[in-house]
Amino acid sequence: MLDGPSPWPWSFSPWSFSPWSFRADRFPRMSHLDVSNVTKRYGDTVAVDDVSFDAEPGRILGLLGPNGAGKTSTIRMITYIAVPDAGTVRYDGRTVGPWSQQRMGYLPEESGLYKRLEVKEQLVYLGTLKGLSEQDAAERAHHWLDRFDATDWADLNIEELSKGMQQKVQFIATLLHDPSLLIFDEPFSGLDPINADLLRDIILELRRDDRTILFASHRMEQVEQLCDDICLMADGEVVLHGNLRDIKQQFGRNTLVLEFDGPDTFVDELAGAGRVRVNTRSAHRAELTLADGTDARAVLDVALDRTDELYRYERVEPPLNEIFVDTVGEAEAQRMQQPPAASAA
Amino acid sequence: MKTSLHKIWLIVRSEYWRRVRSTAFILATLLVPVGFVVVAAAPAALGYLADQGSRRTVAVVDQTGRLGDPLAAASTEQLTFRPVAQSPDSVRAAVRAGAYDGYLLLPDSLLDGTGRATYYSMQSGGLTDQIQIEDRVGTVVQQQRLRAADATAAVLSILESDASVRTRTIKEAGTGADHTFAYTAIGYVMAFVIYFAVFVYGQYVMQGVIEEKSSRVVEVIVSSVRPFELLMGKVLGIGAMGLTQMVVWAALVTGGLAGAAPLLAFFLDPASLGVPADASSAAVAEAAGLTVPPVPYALLGWFVLFFVGGFLLYASLFAAVGSAVEQQQDAQNLLLPVLTPLILPLLFLAFVLESPDATVSVVLSLIPFFSPILMMLRAAITTVPVWQMLVALGLLGATFVAMIGLAGRIYRVGILSYGKTPSLREVARWITYR
Repeated sequence: MLDGPSPWPWSFSPWSFSPWSFRADRFPRMSHLDVSNVTKRYGDTVAVDDVSFDAEPGRILGLLGPNGAGKTSTIRMITYIAVPDAGTVRYDGRTVGPWSQQRMGYLPEESGLYKRLEVKEQLVYLGTLKGLSEQDAAERAHHWLDRFDATDWADLNIEELSKGMQQKVQFIATLLHDPSLLIFDEPFSGLDPINADLLRDIILELRRDDRTILFASHRMEQVEQLCDDICLMADGEVVLHGNLRDIKQQFGRNTLVLEFDGPDTFVDELAGAGRVRVNTRSAHRAELTLADGTDARAVLDVALDRTDELYRYERVEPPLNEIFVDTVGEAEAQRMQQPPAASAA
Repeated sequence: MKTSLHKIWLIVRSEYWRRVRSTAFILATLLVPVGFVVVAAAPAALGYLADQGSRRTVAVVDQTGRLGDPLAAASTEQLTFRPVAQSPDSVRAAVRAGAYDGYLLLPDSLLDGTGRATYYSMQSGGLTDQIQIEDRVGTVVQQQRLRAADATAAVLSILESDASVRTRTIKEAGTGADHTFAYTAIGYVMAFVIYFAVFVYGQYVMQGVIEEKSSRVVEVIVSSVRPFELLMGKVLGIGAMGLTQMVVWAALVTGGLAGAAPLLAFFLDPASLGVPADASSAAVAEAAGLTVPPVPYALLGWFVLFFVGGFLLYASLFAAVGSAVEQQQDAQNLLLPVLTPLILPLLFLAFVLESPDATVSVVLSLIPFFSPILMMLRAAITTVPVWQMLVALGLLGATFVAMIGLAGRIYRVGILSYGKTPSLREVARWITYR
C-alpha cells in the first residue's frame, strides 16, 4: 500500500466529476485560481491585508510589487505552505489543501535543491512527493532533461552545477508532475539569454496548453512581455489588478518619446517646471510622462525650438514601470529596483 | 489535518538511503568498532609485546645458602634466576659486561626477617620486573622460613589457600551467578550509549533541518507535503539510520572481540592474570577483560525501546531548534532548553548507581526526559518491576506526542523565517501562530 501512487483524496470528491474535468489526461486543466479577501498576520505584522484577485487558465498573471509587498506571503497561501488568517484561496472551486499541492508546480525565488543529491534522484524524489510513481517520475525527468539538453548532468550532484544549470533543474522539478497551476517566482534569474528564451518558450507553451500561470517578478520588461493580466501589490494590498492591455489604455497615451540631436537642457527645464516627469533619458533620447494639464503639443513646440534636429516624437501608452510609479508612488517604486533582501516569513 | 503516511514513508526512505550510503556513514560505521576493539585489546597486546622484549636473566648471590635453588626452580620464561657462587663485586662486573641483566643480593639476615633483598641492574627496569622479582623472592623466603619453623602441612595449606568471596544472587529460577560488576558496567555503557546516541543523532536531525532551510529546498518540499510530514519523515529516517549504525556497531564489536579474544589469549600468560595455566583460551580472555559479558535479551529489548523513545522525544526538539536558525552556530542559545534535560540525568548517574532502588531513583527514572538514561541504568543493575518500565515508556511516549505537536508548530513557522535569529520568546510565540 505504501508503494506506488497514493489514493488521492480529490479523486473521490464531487468536483472531479464536474463536466469540464473529464479529460484524457489525469488532471483537469480548465480550472482557475480565486484568491478572495485573504489576510495573513505574523505576530503584529500584517503581511497580506484583504487581498483578492483571480487567475484564469490559458493566461499568465503577473504578480508585481516591491519587497515586503506581500507577494511571497500570498504565494505561500496559494501553495498551501501557509494558511490565511482570514479569507479563502480556492482552486477549481475548492479551498486549497494537500490535494491542490499535487496539481501545482511552484518555482520559488531562490533555487532550492539538495546540494549533495544527484540531479536524477532529486527529480524523482520531488516527483514522487507530488504523487508520481517512481518509474513515471524517472521517465518524465529523462524527457525534460533531454529537452533542456541536460542529459549529461543526470548523475551529477547539484553542487557541481552552475547557477543557471541549477535553475533549469529547478524548473524541471516544477513541471515534472504536469501541474495545471504553475507559480514562477523570478524564473529567469541566473539564466543566460539562450536558456531564458527556452524557458520563455516553455512557459508560453504551457499557456497555450490552458494552464493557469502565475508569474512573480520585479523585472517590469519581462512582465510586460509575458503577462496577459497583472496584479500589483504594495504594502500587503492589491493596488491594481486586471487585464494588462485594459490597464494601459486606462492610463492613456500620456507618455512621449523624443529622439533628437543638440542640447537637451529643455528636458531639465520642462521637468523643473513640473510639466513633465522624466522616465528614462540618455544624450539623444528622452521618455517623458505628461503631468496633468500639460499639453503634448506644447512639449513638441519646446523640443522643436530648442533642439538642432528632432527625429522622433511619439505619444505612446505608458510602460508598466510608469504605471507602477503612478500607482504606488516614487518611493515604493524605488524599493522595487533594490535586490531582493531576505525577508522574514 | 490528516497526515499522509505514504508521504512520510517517501521522506523516511529518501532520508535514510541518502545518509546510509554516504561515504562518511560507511566509514564511521566500519571504523568505530575497529577502533573500539583496538582500544580494548591494546593493553593486553602491549603487555605481551613488552614481555617479549624482556627475557631477563638474574644472577642470584645467595648469602643464606638456602634460597638459591628454590629461586632457580621458580624461574619463568621471561625471568631466569641463576644462583652464582661469586662475590658481589665480581658479579657486578659480570652484569656490567652484559652476562646478566642484573643481580639479586640475598643477605643472610633475610631468613630471620630483618634483612632485605636488593636487586641491582643497569636499567631501572619496569614495574613488571620489580613485581615479578618481589613476588618470587617473597614466596621462596616465606616457604623457607615456614620450613625452618617446622610448620605443619596443615598450616602450609591454609597459607596457600585464598579466601575470596563469591557472590550469588537469589533469583526466582534459583541461585545464579551474580555479575554485579559486569552489570554495573553494562548499565553504565547503556546509559552513555543512549545519551551519546540521542545527542549525536539529534544533532544530525538539527543539521538536516538547517541544511534544508539554508539551501531553501524546504520551500519546494513543503509545497508538496505538510511540514509535519516532513518533520516526522526526517526524524524517523535519521532514527532508522542511527539504529542501523548501532546494530552494525554492536555486531562488529561483539564479533571482533569474539574473534580477537582467542587470538590474544594465545599470547597472554595465564599466570599473570591469576588463571590456571591450563585454563581454556576463553577463560583467559575473560580474565583479561576481552569479552562482552552476556546481556539478557530482555535488557536489549528495553534498550531499543528506550533509545527509540528518547531519540524521538529529543530529535523533535532538535528539529524545532534547527528550524529557527540558518547556521548551526546560531543555535547555541536555543539549544539550552533541549540540552539541559538531556545532560541533567548524567549528574544523577552516580546516585542512581549507588542506590538504584531508592525512591528518589525510582522517581527520577520515571521522568520522561530522564527515563531513557536512568531507567536503562536501573534496569541493568537491579531488577526493575515491569510496571515501572511500562509506566516510564508510557510517559515517554505521551511526552513525545505532546512535544512533537509543539515542535511541529515551531518548525512550520521556523523553516520559512529568514533573517535575524529569533529569541527563545519569539520561538515560543510561533506556537500560537495559525
